[in-house]
Amino acid sequence: MRGSALRRLYPVLGVIALVVLVEVVGRFELAGKSWPPLTEVLASLGQPGRLDLVLRSLGATAVAAAAGLVLGTVLATAGAALGLLVPVARPGMDRLAAILNAVPLIALAPLLIMTVGREGTPTVIAALGVGFVMFVALSSGLLAASRTHQDVFTVLGAARLTRLRRLQFPAALPYFLDGLALAGPTAVLGATIGEWFGAPSGLGVLIVSAMQNFQIPLLWSAALSATLLSLLAYVLFSRVQVLAARRFA
Amino acid sequence: MTSTAVRSPQRLPIDRPAPVTGSGIALRGVSKEYPLKRKTSLRALDGLDLEVAPGEFVALLGPSGCGKSTVLRLVAGLEEASAGAVDVEGRPPAQLAREHRLGVAFQEHALLPWASIRSNVALPFQVAGRPVDDRRVDDLLRLVGLGGFENARPKQLSGGMRQRAAIARALALDPDVLLLDEPFGALDAVTRRRMNAELARIWSEQQITTLLVTHDVDEAVLLADRIVVMTGRPGRVRYTCTVDIPRPRGADVTRTPEFHGLVDTLTAMLDSADETA
Repeated sequence: MRGSALRRLYPVLGVIALVVLVEVVGRFELAGKSWPPLTEVLASLGQPGRLDLVLRSLGATAVAAAAGLVLGTVLATAGAALGLLVPVARPGMDRLAAILNAVPLIALAPLLIMTVGREGTPTVIAALGVGFVMFVALSSGLLAASRTHQDVFTVLGAARLTRLRRLQFPAALPYFLDGLALAGPTAVLGATIGEWFGAPSGLGVLIVSAMQNFQIPLLWSAALSATLLSLLAYVLFSRVQVLAARRFA
Repeated sequence: MTSTAVRSPQRLPIDRPAPVTGSGIALRGVSKEYPLKRKTSLRALDGLDLEVAPGEFVALLGPSGCGKSTVLRLVAGLEEASAGAVDVEGRPPAQLAREHRLGVAFQEHALLPWASIRSNVALPFQVAGRPVDDRRVDDLLRLVGLGGFENARPKQLSGGMRQRAAIARALALDPDVLLLDEPFGALDAVTRRRMNAELARIWSEQQITTLLVTHDVDEAVLLADRIVVMTGRPGRVRYTCTVDIPRPRGADVTRTPEFHGLVDTLTAMLDSADETA
């Protein structure tokens, strides 16, 4: 009992220590003027219209990130399933994923602005990051079913799609959710970066404009919002993963 | 030397004799080699002949590592013979699996951990694309003594119960051929004996062509019509005998001199099988 209470206390202590550290470094300007004290960042949200602006941007980024998460996950699932059903395509899919992930996103910006527009770019960049993470997670997840389970389906005369639906997808679910826990923050980061290329609104837009105008507290309110959104996605999917692992393992 | 290193620059030609008409399992001159490092291979089976008549229960006995499971995997269509012919009902074994007429219980129960016991037993229907016959599933669960555990998950059951569920799954589609790969190997002696009795009862209700792979002599004598003893690796047939003990073979049978005589003969055979390898 005492041990478990202590164990629950440690993360709280860790967060408090981090907050105090950030505050102290900012207060005494140990890292220069661009590291503001946390209290000043929070106080800046009290300025008229400021909280509203940050929340509106947060909403835009959250929507773009969520759309990117869905799009990337769907494409990755299709790609990984294709690699499984058509074994010839597997090495090609692997290489394509690796190449897409290696191309610097900044270089893709002009292409994306021309093809999907400034509004669509955050979603697509989020989807690219998500797609890679999910493809890797699913590619191993879809091979996770045990040898004996595969044999059972073979002797029962299972068609490939039946095997995929009744064996390989369920066996891949814990891997899928593991992937989502990583892909959630990736989507937020991708959407934020995508917004730098002229999106109408969002945390990325806010960060760029605050940076150029040296509005440090505003910059950090946007950054803090993005961080919290990422963490929220991570915690949410990790929770679901733990629940699923209990049933599927 | 238990392994034979064979140089095999090209694959051995597969000569396939004309299939026998009718049903049952037939292996003729079957060899199986597994490639090891470059140009060497492990010969698991060497010129094995084995027949199981329709409706017959044959137990394949052999020391561990003699290739008995390989025989079963060949008959199940999970592997291909390097030489010789394997026919089930006069056709290649994989055909039977594709037609959903094969039942197999493996050493590990291999139940799907995310599905309930009922869904696991109903799986063959779903895989075959047939509507699930709820009556049949209920009957099977009762038959293997799992009534009342329909909604449990495999990990909530004991090892013996899981194996029984796996056997129910193997029987779900009324298979023409039943293959059992030491399905009770991981169980303790008491549970194992009880499972043997239950399997004998289930089998007596519908005499399916059955091949049981085991290293347990008692189990073979209790269940089989005929027992085939294999040599150590590479596996060949060493000895065949029919079991003339009348069914049902209850606990009283295990105390008869007839039973003990047969068990002793077969056990001695297994002992020396290791040496002849």
